[in-house]
Amino acid sequence: MMNKKQCVAMLLAGGQGSRLGILTSDMAKPAIPYGGKYRIIDFPLSNCTNSGIDVVGVLTQYQPQVLNAYIGSGSPWDLDLAHGGVYVLPPYVKGKSGEWYSGTANAIYQNLQFIEQFNTDYVLILSGDHIYKMDYNRMLQFHIQNNADCTIAVREVPWDEASRFGIMNTAEDNSISEFEEKPAKPKSNKASMGVYIFTWEKLRQYLMADAQDPSSANDFGKNIIPAMLGDSQRMFAYDFEGYWKDVGTIESLWEANMDLLSLPMPIDLYDKKWRIYGRNPGMAPHFIAEGGSAKNSLITEGCEVYGRVDHSVLFAGVVVKEGASVIDSVLMPGAVVERGAQVRRAIIAEEAVIGAGSVIGGETGNIAVVGQNVVLPAGSVVKPGEQCSGK
Amino acid sequence: MKDVMGIIYTGEKDSFLRELTLLRAIAALPVAGRYRVIDFLVSDMVNSGIRNVGVIMQKNYHSLMDHLGSGKEWDLHGKNDGLYILPPFLTRENVGVYTGSLDALHSNMSYLRRSRQEYVLFCNSLIVYNANFNAIMDVYAQGDCDAVMMYTKDPGMQRPEYGSYLDVDKDGMIRDVEIDPTKPRYENTSMDAILISKSLLMELVDRGVAHGYHDLMRDVIQRMIRDAGLKVKGYEYKDLCYRMDSVQGYFNFNLDTLNIDVRHHLFPEDRPVYTKVRDELPARYLDDAKVVNSMVADGCIIDGTLEHSVLFRGVHIAKGATVKNCIIMQDSHVEEGAYLENCILDKQARVKRDGRLIGPKAYPIVISKNMVI
Repeated sequence: MMNKKQCVAMLLAGGQGSRLGILTSDMAKPAIPYGGKYRIIDFPLSNCTNSGIDVVGVLTQYQPQVLNAYIGSGSPWDLDLAHGGVYVLPPYVKGKSGEWYSGTANAIYQNLQFIEQFNTDYVLILSGDHIYKMDYNRMLQFHIQNNADCTIAVREVPWDEASRFGIMNTAEDNSISEFEEKPAKPKSNKASMGVYIFTWEKLRQYLMADAQDPSSANDFGKNIIPAMLGDSQRMFAYDFEGYWKDVGTIESLWEANMDLLSLPMPIDLYDKKWRIYGRNPGMAPHFIAEGGSAKNSLITEGCEVYGRVDHSVLFAGVVVKEGASVIDSVLMPGAVVERGAQVRRAIIAEEAVIGAGSVIGGETGNIAVVGQNVVLPAGSVVKPGEQCSGK
Repeated sequence: MKDVMGIIYTGEKDSFLRELTLLRAIAALPVAGRYRVIDFLVSDMVNSGIRNVGVIMQKNYHSLMDHLGSGKEWDLHGKNDGLYILPPFLTRENVGVYTGSLDALHSNMSYLRRSRQEYVLFCNSLIVYNANFNAIMDVYAQGDCDAVMMYTKDPGMQRPEYGSYLDVDKDGMIRDVEIDPTKPRYENTSMDAILISKSLLMELVDRGVAHGYHDLMRDVIQRMIRDAGLKVKGYEYKDLCYRMDSVQGYFNFNLDTLNIDVRHHLFPEDRPVYTKVRDELPARYLDDAKVVNSMVADGCIIDGTLEHSVLFRGVHIAKGATVKNCIIMQDSHVEEGAYLENCILDKQARVKRDGRLIGPKAYPIVISKNMVI
């Protein structure tokens, strides 16, 4: 047995994120680049390490290669430890058969042995879908003080949007009396963030029972939480305040990137006490050439700007050639915009090349997307809202 | 190159670098926006397949140790081999301060002895280049020599009273070495990198120290080449290299990285230069940013005018400030309305509102670390 760990984090990273369209055709959603130098998974991983949680199991299933390579030994997050660290946990063969993770709860159930080896008291369940900074340790202390069986992180959403979320109805002491998934008439505006802390012994019981129920969808939101509420277990809502953004759609991913360009930045990524870590590609600082310009933008290492960049986010190694203009856009690692091309309100995925004189997106309308490794010939047009996979 | 270990000697004289080396070794000088001088050499070694790198420290080595750490950024933190930091130490036969490279090697004989590699690439730290050292090994492998030294014909590398200059014959054999001549007589400037078998190096060190010598190049190799006691071949390096041996040299090197060809030579995609990572946000340009011909590192916030300059990580240029032809190191601030031209701002310096500093191009103003102007 390993030395004892008070809390083990399990990060659900197996979802496809199909609402992100062609951006997730070759990689899992948590591997999607965000904010000029991060990937979405950097946020929960950095939150863990900054919260003092040093065992993180990452449950992968859909298109895991990019994610696996990115996580590697976990060293960028200081999670390359001899006793603990980050573990990638794909589904595996057991005995003569094997099975995929059939739901979020099933993914944890299939890794009971992994969790048990740490002799842990609590398990933190996370997802790889959100941009936020959160001290999980404070939530854990709240859980312990309440002698809770389950604590669910919630944030207040505008009342008129509450019917789009899983809503927690709570008593004055923040104990949860009722959980309603997308209620037509919400009684509360406390929306679940998909961040849970369970007392491990209790969760273990419910996972075992859930696995025996053939009608169950093996899902935390649909099965485990309602079952625990039904049994009147001690369940509490933990209020989270601060920036929290779901990046599950093309529009919201674009918006979350644009959020970083507003003043003041709604999420403080300069905070030295709560750094967001990521794998560094090791490139020289970026270069703005004679004739190039940059305004209201985030630009990182390895970029070369010969054209105009305004209100955009440029990831590592992006090249914007002479006469090209990039406005209100997100250019992922290694993207190249050739001479005279115009990119506006668009997401250009990794290593894509926009041919000379092309017009991508437009001043209004939905976000245009050019997929990973797509090479667009000169003079191409990708209309607003269009997704170009090159196939 | 698995059979080669690298040793970097960082004890060169640094008085020409004025304030820049008051608190650090030349090897630890910040360059090109996010690197330290030594990053190039260590990365060159690693990219050439060298897995065992020893760094001999002399004075002011705190910032160097802090920077190199466990060697993780260079993948030099393995179980076998890896990065060895070799600071001076006191023993019965060791005074703790090295008079020259021979003393330094002698103090580290046990490191040499227990390393598994058969060859040593011994380098000084003040020359910056991005080289593949396999080429120097190829020259050695052709045989008929005891060692190979790297040199360049770049006239920009010649300095009066500083450096080693080599007489290389048509067969590539080095016939003479001149050290610190007032006027270099040979067009071949030594790049202070020598490949030699470990056993021979250890013998030379032992013999040299036994004769009361202190410097490997001046006291041992130079004499032996002249006496034909050592056959040393030259390997001509034809790509870019820079000497960090004066403020002007330092200044020009940094500004040269703004030339796109120089940039692509020094930072080729297949031979990256590794450095300690700071996990900063990308640089942020605000509404009044006017930037041309500049290199800007992550963590910077720019709302002013920037021309032909290099900004290191975390530099702030406020609205209405102008920065021309400057090197501005990590976490320095240029406040509103300030005007800087031909300046080097060391780390965490601050130029207050409306401050003006204009240096001559040939003698840039150096503002020391933590200074407030």
